[in-house]
Amino acid sequence: MFNYFHNHFQAFQRALTRIFSNLSSSLMMFIVIGVTLFLPSSGLLIIENISQISNNIAYDAELSLFLKKDVKQDQINFIESALNKTTIIKKTHFESKLIAWDKLQNKLNLSPLDIGISQNPLPDAFFISLNTFDQKKINSLIDNLKTIDGVENIFFDSGWVKKLRSILYLLKIGLVFLGIILIIILIVVIGNTIRLQTLTHKDEIEVSKLIGATNSFIKRPFIYAGLIYGLGGGLITISTLKLTIEIFNKAAINLEAILGGAFILNNLIWQQNLVILLISMLIGSFASFFAAQQSIKKFEKFQ
Amino acid sequence: MITFDKVFKRYPGNMDALQNINLEILPAELVFVTGPSGAGKSTLLKLISSVEKPTSGTIVFENKNLSQLKTRDIPYLRRKFGMIFQDHKLLYDRNCFENVSLPLAINDIDGIDINRRVRAALDKVGLLNKEKIMPISLSGGEQQRLAIARAIVSRPSILIADEPTGNLDREYADEIMNIFYSFQQVGVTVIISTHELPITPIKHKKIHLINGELKDHTNYVQLLS
Repeated sequence: MFNYFHNHFQAFQRALTRIFSNLSSSLMMFIVIGVTLFLPSSGLLIIENISQISNNIAYDAELSLFLKKDVKQDQINFIESALNKTTIIKKTHFESKLIAWDKLQNKLNLSPLDIGISQNPLPDAFFISLNTFDQKKINSLIDNLKTIDGVENIFFDSGWVKKLRSILYLLKIGLVFLGIILIIILIVVIGNTIRLQTLTHKDEIEVSKLIGATNSFIKRPFIYAGLIYGLGGGLITISTLKLTIEIFNKAAINLEAILGGAFILNNLIWQQNLVILLISMLIGSFASFFAAQQSIKKFEKFQ
Repeated sequence: MITFDKVFKRYPGNMDALQNINLEILPAELVFVTGPSGAGKSTLLKLISSVEKPTSGTIVFENKNLSQLKTRDIPYLRRKFGMIFQDHKLLYDRNCFENVSLPLAINDIDGIDINRRVRAALDKVGLLNKEKIMPISLSGGEQQRLAIARAIVSRPSILIADEPTGNLDREYADEIMNIFYSFQQVGVTVIISTHELPITPIKHKKIHLINGELKDHTNYVQLLS
Protein backbone atom coordinates (compact mmCIF):
# COMPACT_ATOMS: atom_id res chain seq x y z
CA MET A 1 0.00 0.00 0.00
CA PHE A 2 2.86 2.36 0.87
CA ASN A 3 4.46 1.65 -2.51
CA TYR A 4 1.15 2.40 -4.26
CA PHE A 5 0.94 5.84 -2.65
CA HIS A 6 4.66 6.38 -3.20
CA ASN A 7 4.05 5.66 -6.88
CA HIS A 8 1.20 8.21 -6.99
CA PHE A 9 3.39 10.73 -5.22
CA GLN A 10 6.14 10.19 -7.80
CA ALA A 11 3.62 10.61 -10.63
CA PHE A 12 2.43 13.85 -9.01
CA GLN A 13 6.03 15.04 -8.75
CA ARG A 14 6.63 14.21 -12.42
CA ALA A 15 3.49 16.16 -13.35
CA LEU A 16 4.67 19.16 -11.31
CA THR A 17 8.12 18.95 -12.94
CA ARG A 18 6.54 18.93 -16.39
CA ILE A 19 4.33 21.92 -15.52
CA PHE A 20 7.24 23.93 -14.08
CA SER A 21 9.52 23.05 -16.98
CA ASN A 22 6.92 24.65 -19.29
CA LEU A 23 5.85 27.39 -16.95
CA SER A 24 4.76 29.97 -19.53
CA SER A 25 2.47 27.59 -21.43
CA SER A 26 1.20 26.17 -18.12
CA LEU A 27 0.29 29.69 -16.96
CA MET A 28 -1.50 30.24 -20.27
CA MET A 29 -3.45 27.05 -19.63
CA PHE A 30 -4.40 28.24 -16.11
CA ILE A 31 -5.65 31.53 -17.57
CA VAL A 32 -7.61 29.82 -20.37
CA ILE A 33 -9.36 27.54 -17.86
CA GLY A 34 -9.86 30.37 -15.37
CA VAL A 35 -11.39 32.79 -17.86
CA THR A 36 -13.54 30.13 -19.54
CA LEU A 37 -15.02 29.05 -16.20
CA PHE A 38 -15.39 32.68 -15.11
CA LEU A 39 -18.04 33.34 -17.78
CA PRO A 40 -20.74 30.89 -16.61
CA SER A 41 -19.75 31.29 -12.92
CA SER A 42 -20.16 35.07 -12.98
CA GLY A 43 -23.46 34.73 -14.87
CA LEU A 44 -24.79 32.33 -12.26
CA LEU A 45 -23.53 34.57 -9.45
CA ILE A 46 -25.37 37.59 -10.84
CA ILE A 47 -28.56 35.60 -11.40
CA GLU A 48 -28.38 34.15 -7.88
CA ASN A 49 -28.06 37.66 -6.48
CA ILE A 50 -30.98 39.00 -8.53
CA SER A 51 -33.05 35.95 -7.48
CA GLN A 52 -32.40 36.80 -3.84
CA ILE A 53 -33.51 40.37 -4.43
CA SER A 54 -36.67 39.16 -6.19
CA ASN A 55 -37.35 36.76 -3.31
CA ASN A 56 -37.15 39.59 -0.81
CA ILE A 57 -39.50 41.70 -2.89
CA ALA A 58 -41.95 38.84 -3.28
CA TYR A 59 -42.40 38.60 0.49
CA ASP A 60 -43.84 42.12 0.47
CA ALA A 61 -46.29 41.35 -2.31
CA GLU A 62 -49.95 41.84 -1.66
CA LEU A 63 -53.33 41.22 -3.10
CA SER A 64 -55.41 44.37 -3.21
CA LEU A 65 -59.10 43.68 -2.88
CA PHE A 66 -61.35 46.66 -3.68
CA LEU A 67 -64.95 46.54 -2.60
CA LYS A 68 -68.03 47.97 -4.29
CA LYS A 69 -68.93 51.50 -3.25
CA ASP A 70 -72.32 50.52 -1.89
CA VAL A 71 -71.01 47.66 0.24
CA LYS A 72 -72.52 47.35 3.69
CA GLN A 73 -70.70 46.82 6.98
CA ASP A 74 -72.19 43.30 7.31
CA GLN A 75 -70.66 42.34 4.01
CA ILE A 76 -67.31 43.84 4.99
CA ASN A 77 -67.36 41.80 8.20
CA PHE A 78 -68.28 38.68 6.24
CA ILE A 79 -65.42 39.23 3.76
CA GLU A 80 -62.94 39.86 6.59
CA SER A 81 -63.92 36.66 8.39
CA ALA A 82 -63.70 34.73 5.08
CA LEU A 83 -60.22 36.14 4.46
CA ASN A 84 -59.06 35.26 7.97
CA LYS A 85 -60.13 31.66 7.43
CA THR A 86 -58.08 31.27 4.25
CA THR A 87 -54.84 29.40 4.92
CA ILE A 88 -52.63 31.01 2.25
CA ILE A 89 -53.31 34.49 3.63
CA LYS A 90 -50.70 35.67 6.09
CA LYS A 91 -52.40 38.85 7.22
CA THR A 92 -55.08 41.27 6.10
CA HIS A 93 -55.37 44.95 6.55
CA PHE A 94 -58.66 46.76 5.99
CA GLU A 95 -58.61 50.34 4.88
CA SER A 96 -61.93 52.11 4.81
CA LYS A 97 -62.73 54.50 1.99
CA LEU A 98 -62.86 57.43 4.44
CA ILE A 99 -59.36 56.83 5.77
CA ALA A 100 -58.06 56.26 2.26
CA TRP A 101 -59.65 59.50 1.08
CA ASP A 102 -58.15 61.41 4.01
CA LYS A 103 -54.73 59.95 3.32
CA LEU A 104 -54.92 60.88 -0.33
CA GLN A 105 -55.95 64.43 0.40
CA ASN A 106 -53.19 64.83 2.97
CA LYS A 107 -50.63 63.37 0.63
CA LEU A 108 -51.61 65.63 -2.25
CA ASN A 109 -52.31 68.53 0.07
CA LEU A 110 -55.69 69.13 -1.57
CA SER A 111 -59.23 69.75 -0.46
CA PRO A 112 -62.29 68.33 -2.29
CA LEU A 113 -63.16 71.82 -3.38
CA ASP A 114 -59.83 72.23 -5.10
CA ILE A 115 -60.45 69.31 -7.43
CA GLY A 116 -64.19 69.80 -7.73
CA ILE A 117 -65.21 66.47 -6.23
CA SER A 118 -68.00 66.47 -3.71
CA GLN A 119 -68.06 62.67 -3.10
CA ASN A 120 -65.35 60.28 -1.97
CA PRO A 121 -64.24 58.47 -5.15
CA LEU A 122 -62.30 55.72 -3.33
CA PRO A 123 -63.71 52.31 -2.36
CA ASP A 124 -63.16 50.30 0.83
CA ALA A 125 -60.24 47.91 0.41
CA PHE A 126 -58.46 44.96 1.96
CA PHE A 127 -54.68 44.64 1.54
CA ILE A 128 -53.73 41.00 1.84
CA SER A 129 -50.25 39.53 2.41
CA LEU A 130 -49.85 36.00 1.11
CA ASN A 131 -47.68 33.23 2.45
CA THR A 132 -47.33 31.44 -0.89
CA PHE A 133 -46.07 32.27 -4.37
CA ASP A 134 -47.69 29.33 -6.06
CA GLN A 135 -49.45 30.87 -9.05
CA LYS A 136 -52.16 28.18 -9.09
CA LYS A 137 -53.08 28.75 -5.45
CA ILE A 138 -53.09 32.52 -5.90
CA ASN A 139 -55.27 32.31 -9.03
CA SER A 140 -57.69 29.99 -7.27
CA LEU A 141 -57.88 32.40 -4.31
CA ILE A 142 -58.53 35.33 -6.65
CA ASP A 143 -61.29 33.34 -8.42
CA ASN A 144 -62.92 32.51 -5.08
CA LEU A 145 -62.71 36.07 -3.82
CA LYS A 146 -64.29 37.39 -7.02
CA THR A 147 -67.42 35.35 -6.34
CA ILE A 148 -68.01 37.03 -2.97
CA ASP A 149 -70.80 39.58 -3.06
CA GLY A 150 -69.48 43.10 -2.64
CA VAL A 151 -66.05 42.53 -4.23
CA GLU A 152 -65.37 44.86 -7.15
CA ASN A 153 -61.76 44.29 -8.19
CA ILE A 154 -58.69 42.28 -7.19
CA PHE A 155 -55.11 43.12 -8.13
CA PHE A 156 -52.13 40.86 -7.65
CA ASP A 157 -49.39 43.39 -7.03
CA SER A 158 -46.37 41.10 -7.40
CA GLY A 159 -47.14 39.83 -10.91
CA TRP A 160 -43.98 41.49 -12.17
CA VAL A 161 -41.92 39.49 -9.66
CA LYS A 162 -43.24 36.35 -11.29
CA LYS A 163 -42.20 37.64 -14.66
CA LEU A 164 -38.75 38.52 -13.35
CA ARG A 165 -38.40 35.06 -11.84
CA SER A 166 -39.42 33.44 -15.12
CA ILE A 167 -36.83 35.51 -16.99
CA LEU A 168 -34.19 34.55 -14.41
CA TYR A 169 -35.15 30.91 -14.75
CA LEU A 170 -34.74 31.11 -18.53
CA LEU A 171 -31.41 32.89 -18.11
CA LYS A 172 -30.28 30.14 -15.73
CA ILE A 173 -31.12 27.48 -18.32
CA GLY A 174 -29.25 29.51 -20.93
CA LEU A 175 -26.24 29.77 -18.65
CA VAL A 176 -26.26 26.06 -17.91
CA PHE A 177 -26.14 25.40 -21.67
CA LEU A 178 -23.39 27.97 -22.08
CA GLY A 179 -21.55 26.26 -19.22
CA ILE A 180 -21.86 22.87 -20.89
CA ILE A 181 -20.52 24.25 -24.18
CA LEU A 182 -17.62 25.94 -22.40
CA ILE A 183 -16.83 22.73 -20.49
CA ILE A 184 -16.67 20.85 -23.80
CA ILE A 185 -14.33 23.54 -25.15
CA LEU A 186 -12.17 23.21 -22.03
CA ILE A 187 -12.02 19.43 -22.38
CA VAL A 188 -10.85 19.85 -25.98
CA VAL A 189 -8.24 22.50 -25.07
CA ILE A 190 -6.83 20.61 -22.05
CA GLY A 191 -7.00 17.32 -23.96
CA ASN A 192 -5.03 18.83 -26.81
CA THR A 193 -2.35 20.16 -24.45
CA ILE A 194 -2.02 16.76 -22.79
CA ARG A 195 -1.90 15.08 -26.22
CA LEU A 196 1.03 17.35 -27.13
CA GLN A 197 2.69 16.42 -23.82
CA THR A 198 2.32 12.73 -24.61
CA LEU A 199 4.03 13.37 -27.96
CA THR A 200 6.91 15.08 -26.13
CA HIS A 201 7.19 12.05 -23.84
CA LYS A 202 6.64 9.48 -26.59
CA ASP A 203 10.03 7.79 -26.02
CA GLU A 204 9.42 7.53 -22.30
CA ILE A 205 5.98 6.03 -22.88
CA GLU A 206 7.31 3.49 -25.39
CA VAL A 207 10.24 2.46 -23.19
CA SER A 208 8.02 2.24 -20.13
CA LYS A 209 5.58 0.01 -21.98
CA LEU A 210 8.40 -2.24 -23.20
CA ILE A 211 9.71 -2.75 -19.68
CA GLY A 212 6.35 -3.58 -18.18
CA ALA A 213 4.56 -0.36 -17.27
CA THR A 214 0.78 -0.61 -17.15
CA ASN A 215 -1.29 1.98 -18.99
CA SER A 216 -2.50 3.43 -15.70
CA PHE A 217 1.12 3.91 -14.57
CA ILE A 218 1.85 5.81 -17.81
CA LYS A 219 -1.36 7.85 -17.66
CA ARG A 220 -0.92 8.86 -14.01
CA PRO A 221 1.43 11.86 -14.44
CA PHE A 222 -0.69 13.20 -17.30
CA ILE A 223 -3.87 12.92 -15.21
CA TYR A 224 -2.14 14.73 -12.35
CA ALA A 225 -1.03 17.41 -14.82
CA GLY A 226 -4.68 17.85 -15.89
CA LEU A 227 -5.71 17.98 -12.24
CA ILE A 228 -3.15 20.70 -11.51
CA TYR A 229 -4.26 22.65 -14.60
CA GLY A 230 -7.83 22.41 -13.30
CA LEU A 231 -6.77 23.52 -9.82
CA GLY A 232 -4.82 26.51 -11.19
CA GLY A 233 -7.66 27.48 -13.51
CA GLY A 234 -10.25 27.12 -10.72
CA LEU A 235 -8.18 29.36 -8.43
CA ILE A 236 -7.99 31.99 -11.18
CA THR A 237 -11.80 31.79 -11.65
CA ILE A 238 -12.39 32.26 -7.90
CA SER A 239 -9.90 35.13 -7.63
CA THR A 240 -11.34 36.85 -10.71
CA LEU A 241 -14.89 36.47 -9.38
CA LYS A 242 -13.86 37.89 -6.00
CA LEU A 243 -12.12 40.81 -7.67
CA THR A 244 -15.12 41.48 -9.92
CA ILE A 245 -17.52 41.43 -6.96
CA GLU A 246 -15.26 43.83 -5.03
CA ILE A 247 -15.02 46.26 -7.94
CA PHE A 248 -18.76 45.99 -8.70
CA ASN A 249 -19.75 46.53 -5.07
CA LYS A 250 -17.45 49.55 -4.71
CA ALA A 251 -19.10 51.10 -7.75
CA ALA A 252 -22.57 50.14 -6.44
CA ILE A 253 -21.84 51.74 -3.04
CA ASN A 254 -20.90 54.98 -4.80
CA LEU A 255 -24.28 54.86 -6.54
CA GLU A 256 -26.16 53.81 -3.40
CA ALA A 257 -27.98 57.12 -3.20
CA ILE A 258 -29.58 56.40 -6.57
CA LEU A 259 -29.98 52.62 -6.41
CA GLY A 260 -30.79 52.33 -2.71
CA GLY A 261 -28.23 49.58 -2.06
CA ALA A 262 -30.22 46.96 -3.95
CA PHE A 263 -27.34 46.04 -6.25
CA ILE A 264 -24.70 44.90 -3.77
CA LEU A 265 -23.46 41.43 -4.86
CA ASN A 266 -22.93 38.80 -2.19
CA ASN A 267 -19.46 37.23 -2.08
CA LEU A 268 -19.13 33.52 -2.78
CA ILE A 269 -19.33 31.26 0.25
CA TRP A 270 -16.58 28.65 0.73
CA GLN A 271 -18.81 25.79 -0.46
CA GLN A 272 -19.36 27.58 -3.77
CA ASN A 273 -15.60 28.15 -4.13
CA LEU A 274 -15.04 24.47 -3.43
CA VAL A 275 -17.60 23.46 -6.08
CA ILE A 276 -15.85 25.66 -8.68
CA LEU A 277 -12.47 24.10 -7.77
CA LEU A 278 -13.86 20.55 -7.87
CA ILE A 279 -15.59 21.08 -11.22
CA SER A 280 -12.44 22.61 -12.66
CA MET A 281 -10.21 19.77 -11.37
CA LEU A 282 -12.69 17.19 -12.60
CA ILE A 283 -12.68 18.71 -16.10
CA GLY A 284 -8.85 18.79 -16.09
CA SER A 285 -8.41 15.20 -14.98
CA PHE A 286 -11.15 13.86 -17.26
CA ALA A 287 -9.72 15.65 -20.32
CA SER A 288 -6.17 14.48 -19.60
CA PHE A 289 -7.26 10.91 -18.87
CA PHE A 290 -9.10 10.78 -22.18
CA ALA A 291 -6.23 12.40 -24.15
CA ALA A 292 -3.54 10.19 -22.57
CA GLN A 293 -5.66 7.08 -23.21
CA GLN A 294 -6.03 7.98 -26.90
CA SER A 295 -2.32 8.74 -27.30
CA ILE A 296 -1.22 5.47 -25.68
CA LYS A 297 -3.56 3.54 -27.98
CA LYS A 298 -2.09 5.36 -30.98
CA PHE A 299 1.49 4.62 -29.88
CA GLU A 300 0.60 0.96 -29.36
CA LYS A 301 -0.55 0.76 -32.97
CA PHE A 302 2.77 2.00 -34.29
CA GLN A 303 4.98 0.15 -31.83
CA MET B 1 10.97 -22.48 -19.92
CA ILE B 2 10.03 -21.08 -23.35
CA THR B 3 8.55 -23.32 -26.04
CA PHE B 4 7.63 -22.41 -29.62
CA ASP B 5 5.25 -24.82 -31.32
CA LYS B 6 4.47 -24.34 -35.03
CA VAL B 7 4.69 -20.57 -34.70
CA PHE B 8 3.98 -18.36 -37.71
CA LYS B 9 4.13 -14.58 -37.75
CA ARG B 10 2.89 -12.53 -40.68
CA TYR B 11 2.80 -8.73 -40.78
CA PRO B 12 0.00 -7.13 -42.83
CA GLY B 13 0.90 -7.03 -46.52
CA ASN B 14 4.14 -8.95 -46.01
CA MET B 15 5.30 -12.49 -46.40
CA ASP B 16 5.69 -14.61 -43.29
CA ALA B 17 8.29 -13.02 -40.99
CA LEU B 18 8.51 -16.37 -39.19
CA GLN B 19 7.41 -19.75 -40.51
CA ASN B 20 6.75 -22.91 -38.58
CA ILE B 21 9.13 -22.24 -35.72
CA ASN B 22 9.55 -25.08 -33.22
CA LEU B 23 12.08 -24.63 -30.46
CA GLU B 24 12.68 -24.81 -26.75
CA ILE B 25 14.74 -22.59 -24.48
CA LEU B 26 15.67 -24.00 -21.08
CA PRO B 27 16.35 -22.10 -17.82
CA ALA B 28 19.82 -20.56 -17.51
CA GLU B 29 20.66 -21.18 -21.15
CA LEU B 30 22.74 -18.84 -23.24
CA VAL B 31 20.95 -18.59 -26.58
CA PHE B 32 22.16 -16.87 -29.72
CA VAL B 33 19.57 -16.06 -32.37
CA THR B 34 21.58 -15.60 -35.57
CA GLY B 35 20.87 -14.85 -39.20
CA PRO B 36 21.13 -12.08 -41.79
CA SER B 37 19.04 -8.90 -41.76
CA GLY B 38 15.34 -9.62 -42.29
CA ALA B 39 15.72 -13.23 -41.16
CA GLY B 40 13.17 -12.71 -38.33
CA LYS B 41 15.52 -12.45 -35.33
CA SER B 42 13.89 -9.34 -33.87
CA THR B 43 10.42 -10.75 -34.54
CA LEU B 44 11.33 -13.89 -32.60
CA LEU B 45 12.44 -11.81 -29.61
CA LYS B 46 9.32 -9.63 -29.87
CA LEU B 47 7.17 -12.76 -29.74
CA ILE B 48 8.93 -13.96 -26.58
CA SER B 49 8.38 -10.63 -24.82
CA SER B 50 4.79 -10.32 -26.13
CA VAL B 51 5.54 -7.12 -28.01
CA GLU B 52 3.99 -9.02 -30.93
CA LYS B 53 1.52 -11.88 -30.99
CA PRO B 54 1.97 -14.90 -33.28
CA THR B 55 -0.34 -15.23 -36.28
CA SER B 56 -0.66 -18.93 -35.48
CA GLY B 57 0.96 -21.52 -33.25
CA THR B 58 1.67 -21.50 -29.53
CA ILE B 59 4.37 -19.90 -27.43
CA VAL B 60 4.45 -21.21 -23.89
CA PHE B 61 6.32 -19.41 -21.12
CA GLU B 62 6.09 -20.67 -17.52
CA ASN B 63 3.08 -22.80 -18.51
CA LYS B 64 1.24 -19.80 -19.98
CA ASN B 65 0.24 -19.60 -23.62
CA LEU B 66 1.49 -16.15 -24.64
CA SER B 67 -0.71 -16.02 -27.76
CA GLN B 68 -3.78 -16.12 -25.50
CA LEU B 69 -2.45 -13.67 -22.96
CA LYS B 70 -4.88 -10.85 -22.13
CA THR B 71 -3.69 -7.33 -22.96
CA ARG B 72 -3.91 -6.28 -19.30
CA ASP B 73 -1.56 -9.14 -18.28
CA ILE B 74 1.19 -8.26 -20.79
CA PRO B 75 2.90 -5.57 -18.63
CA TYR B 76 3.27 -8.09 -15.76
CA LEU B 77 4.79 -10.64 -18.16
CA ARG B 78 7.29 -8.08 -19.49
CA ARG B 79 8.48 -7.35 -15.96
CA LYS B 80 9.91 -10.87 -15.91
CA PHE B 81 12.23 -9.97 -18.79
CA GLY B 82 15.18 -7.64 -18.95
CA MET B 83 15.15 -6.12 -22.43
CA ILE B 84 18.08 -4.57 -24.24
CA PHE B 85 17.77 -2.92 -27.64
CA GLN B 86 20.26 -2.12 -30.38
CA ASP B 87 19.35 1.59 -30.16
CA HIS B 88 19.51 1.41 -26.32
CA LYS B 89 16.13 3.17 -25.93
CA LEU B 90 17.49 5.32 -23.12
CA LEU B 91 15.69 8.43 -21.89
CA TYR B 92 17.99 11.29 -22.76
CA ASP B 93 16.24 13.81 -20.51
CA ARG B 94 17.03 11.73 -17.42
CA ASN B 95 20.40 10.96 -15.85
CA CYS B 96 21.90 7.47 -15.61
CA PHE B 97 20.46 6.84 -12.15
CA GLU B 98 16.94 7.84 -13.24
CA ASN B 99 17.15 5.70 -16.37
CA VAL B 100 18.10 2.62 -14.37
CA SER B 101 15.51 3.27 -11.66
CA LEU B 102 12.60 3.35 -14.16
CA PRO B 103 11.83 -0.41 -14.01
CA LEU B 104 11.87 -0.29 -10.20
CA ALA B 105 9.38 2.58 -10.15
CA ILE B 106 7.19 0.55 -12.51
CA ASN B 107 7.51 -2.43 -10.15
CA ASP B 108 6.36 -0.34 -7.15
CA ILE B 109 9.68 -0.71 -5.33
CA ASP B 110 10.24 1.84 -2.58
CA GLY B 111 12.83 4.59 -2.46
CA ILE B 112 15.51 3.10 -0.19
CA ASP B 113 15.54 -0.16 -2.10
CA ILE B 114 15.69 1.75 -5.39
CA ASN B 115 18.91 3.54 -4.36
CA ARG B 116 20.57 0.30 -3.29
CA ARG B 117 19.57 -1.69 -6.35
CA VAL B 118 20.28 1.02 -8.92
CA ARG B 119 23.79 1.49 -7.53
CA ALA B 120 24.36 -2.27 -7.53
CA ALA B 121 23.26 -2.50 -11.18
CA LEU B 122 25.41 0.47 -12.20
CA ASP B 123 28.34 -1.06 -10.33
CA LYS B 124 27.85 -4.33 -12.15
CA VAL B 125 28.25 -2.61 -15.54
CA GLY B 126 31.03 -0.30 -14.33
CA LEU B 127 29.05 2.97 -14.39
CA LEU B 128 28.67 3.64 -10.68
CA ASN B 129 30.75 6.80 -10.90
CA LYS B 130 28.50 8.17 -13.67
CA GLU B 131 25.10 7.95 -12.00
CA LYS B 132 24.43 11.71 -12.23
CA ILE B 133 25.59 12.01 -15.84
CA MET B 134 23.13 12.36 -18.70
CA PRO B 135 23.25 9.42 -21.16
CA ILE B 136 24.02 11.67 -24.12
CA SER B 137 27.52 12.29 -22.74
CA LEU B 138 28.29 8.55 -22.56
CA SER B 139 30.06 6.61 -25.33
CA GLY B 140 28.14 4.04 -27.39
CA GLY B 141 29.50 1.16 -25.32
CA GLU B 142 28.67 2.95 -22.06
CA GLN B 143 25.16 3.67 -23.26
CA GLN B 144 24.67 0.00 -23.99
CA ARG B 145 26.05 -0.89 -20.55
CA LEU B 146 23.58 1.59 -19.06
CA ALA B 147 20.79 -0.16 -20.98
CA ILE B 148 21.99 -3.47 -19.52
CA ALA B 149 21.97 -1.98 -16.02
CA ARG B 150 18.35 -0.92 -16.59
CA ALA B 151 17.51 -4.43 -17.81
CA ILE B 152 19.05 -6.23 -14.83
CA VAL B 153 18.04 -3.86 -12.03
CA SER B 154 14.73 -5.63 -11.44
CA ARG B 155 16.55 -9.01 -11.31
CA PRO B 156 14.76 -10.67 -14.23
CA SER B 157 15.06 -14.39 -14.86
CA ILE B 158 15.48 -13.80 -18.60
CA LEU B 159 17.60 -11.24 -20.44
CA ILE B 160 16.61 -10.52 -24.04
CA ALA B 161 19.06 -8.49 -26.10
CA ASP B 162 18.29 -7.47 -29.68
CA GLU B 163 21.62 -6.99 -31.49
CA PRO B 164 23.22 -5.37 -28.43
CA THR B 165 26.62 -5.05 -30.07
CA GLY B 166 25.40 -4.09 -33.55
CA ASN B 167 26.67 -0.51 -33.39
CA LEU B 168 29.80 -1.17 -31.32
CA ASP B 169 33.40 -1.82 -32.24
CA ARG B 170 35.02 -5.15 -31.37
CA GLU B 171 36.49 -4.11 -28.03
CA TYR B 172 33.21 -2.67 -26.71
CA ALA B 173 31.27 -5.61 -28.18
CA ASP B 174 33.44 -8.13 -26.29
CA GLU B 175 33.00 -6.11 -23.11
CA ILE B 176 29.21 -6.20 -23.48
CA MET B 177 29.20 -9.93 -24.28
CA ASN B 178 31.28 -10.66 -21.20
CA ILE B 179 28.67 -8.89 -19.08
CA PHE B 180 25.98 -11.13 -20.58
CA TYR B 181 28.05 -14.26 -19.96
CA SER B 182 28.46 -13.26 -16.32
CA PHE B 183 24.69 -13.12 -15.90
CA GLN B 184 24.22 -16.49 -17.56
CA GLN B 185 26.79 -17.93 -15.14
CA VAL B 186 24.57 -16.94 -12.19
CA GLY B 187 21.49 -18.64 -13.62
CA VAL B 188 19.89 -16.00 -15.82
CA THR B 189 18.57 -17.15 -19.19
CA VAL B 190 20.21 -14.92 -21.79
CA ILE B 191 18.80 -14.65 -25.33
CA ILE B 192 20.87 -12.56 -27.72
CA SER B 193 20.12 -11.85 -31.37
CA THR B 194 23.16 -11.17 -33.52
CA HIS B 195 24.22 -11.23 -37.18
CA GLU B 196 27.05 -13.62 -36.52
CA LEU B 197 27.67 -16.10 -33.76
CA PRO B 198 30.40 -14.66 -31.52
CA ILE B 199 33.32 -16.79 -30.45
CA THR B 200 32.47 -17.75 -26.92
CA PRO B 201 33.96 -20.11 -24.37
CA ILE B 202 30.54 -20.72 -22.87
CA LYS B 203 28.04 -23.49 -23.55
CA HIS B 204 25.28 -22.04 -25.63
CA LYS B 205 22.40 -22.75 -27.96
CA LYS B 206 22.28 -21.44 -31.51
CA ILE B 207 19.03 -20.63 -33.26
CA HIS B 208 19.81 -19.80 -36.88
CA LEU B 209 17.10 -18.14 -38.99
CA ILE B 210 16.99 -17.45 -42.72
CA ASN B 211 13.96 -15.78 -44.33
CA GLY B 212 11.86 -16.55 -41.28
CA GLU B 213 12.66 -20.25 -41.25
CA LEU B 214 14.58 -22.08 -38.57
CA LYS B 215 17.62 -23.53 -40.32
CA ASP B 216 19.66 -24.63 -37.36
CA HIS B 217 18.67 -25.33 -33.76
CA THR B 218 21.82 -26.69 -32.23
CA ASN B 219 21.84 -27.58 -28.59
CA TYR B 220 24.74 -26.90 -26.31
CA VAL B 221 27.56 -26.27 -28.66
CA GLN B 222 30.80 -25.74 -26.80
CA LEU B 223 33.36 -23.63 -28.51
CA LEU B 224 36.67 -22.79 -27.02
CA SER B 225 38.30 -19.57 -27.93
